[in-house]
Amino acid sequence: MAQILQKVDHSALKTNQIIIISLNVLAFILNLPVLAAFVAVMMGIGSALKIPGFGFVYKNLLKPRGWMKPDVLDDNPEPHRFAQFLGFLFMTVGSASLFLGAAILGWSLVWLVVALAALNAFGGFCVGCAVYYWLGRFNLPGFSKQPPTGTFPGMKPKIGASL
Amino acid sequence: MTSDTMSLVLRFGLAIVIIGLGVFAYWLINQRLLVRASSNVFTLLKKLPDKPVLVYFTTPDCAPCKTVQRPAIDRVSKMLGEKLQVIEIDATERPDLAKVWGVMSVPTTFLLDPRGEARYVNNGVARAEKLLEQIQTL
Repeated sequence: MAQILQKVDHSALKTNQIIIISLNVLAFILNLPVLAAFVAVMMGIGSALKIPGFGFVYKNLLKPRGWMKPDVLDDNPEPHRFAQFLGFLFMTVGSASLFLGAAILGWSLVWLVVALAALNAFGGFCVGCAVYYWLGRFNLPGFSKQPPTGTFPGMKPKIGASL
Repeated sequence: MTSDTMSLVLRFGLAIVIIGLGVFAYWLINQRLLVRASSNVFTLLKKLPDKPVLVYFTTPDCAPCKTVQRPAIDRVSKMLGEKLQVIEIDATERPDLAKVWGVMSVPTTFLLDPRGEARYVNNGVARAEKLLEQIQTL
């Protein structure tokens, strides 16, 4: 049965990913675990509110000034929320490791989040979304959505809604 | 130099190396895409011989295609006239072509030299200046 897709602004997601990348790289260079923890908190708040953690920057600054154009596609928002939640978990464990003195583990997890966010922002592939769709194949509760028609699981949709 | 400064410089250098490795991986993927595109030039039935070609993959609901990529291509096309052939492919109408060319997102533009070799691929929006710069080297 065809599923109903929603409008998802991928520019908001991209802004969120670029800010996560920038702050995490800055945290590493300046050796500031507290900045990595701040990113984790923002991703956690975003997950709880079902919005991109740093989406407010796009909504209140970039979009109104025309510095970034909306890129609204018919897509499922749930896999993107799950991806952010996964990022939040990695960042939380990473930050906790840094505060506990396990620097290699902590920074490795922070760089893993940077790599995944970069793959999504610049390559159009959302690993967290792919994991969501993969878990959906096992009929796990809460993972009911299917990739938009004609879209490889995790890839940015190229085509319109399949209503 | 204090140990704090040394540490900062080292960490900055390490960050550059890690980012560089990421960029290198991205470059490798693009090279693979170019090889794939070159071997699929025959799928472009409208291609004119001995002319550089800009192959533009888009979809009707792609917002950046309409607001940025399309005007940039129009500008380039107007400047170069008959010297450049532009082939636009709607990935929703031709998903087979998008698949064989390895197009993962739109807009994606390929630049082919007059011999039909794919020389550049731009994943995402490519501004007119960038396209012109690439075309000049073909």
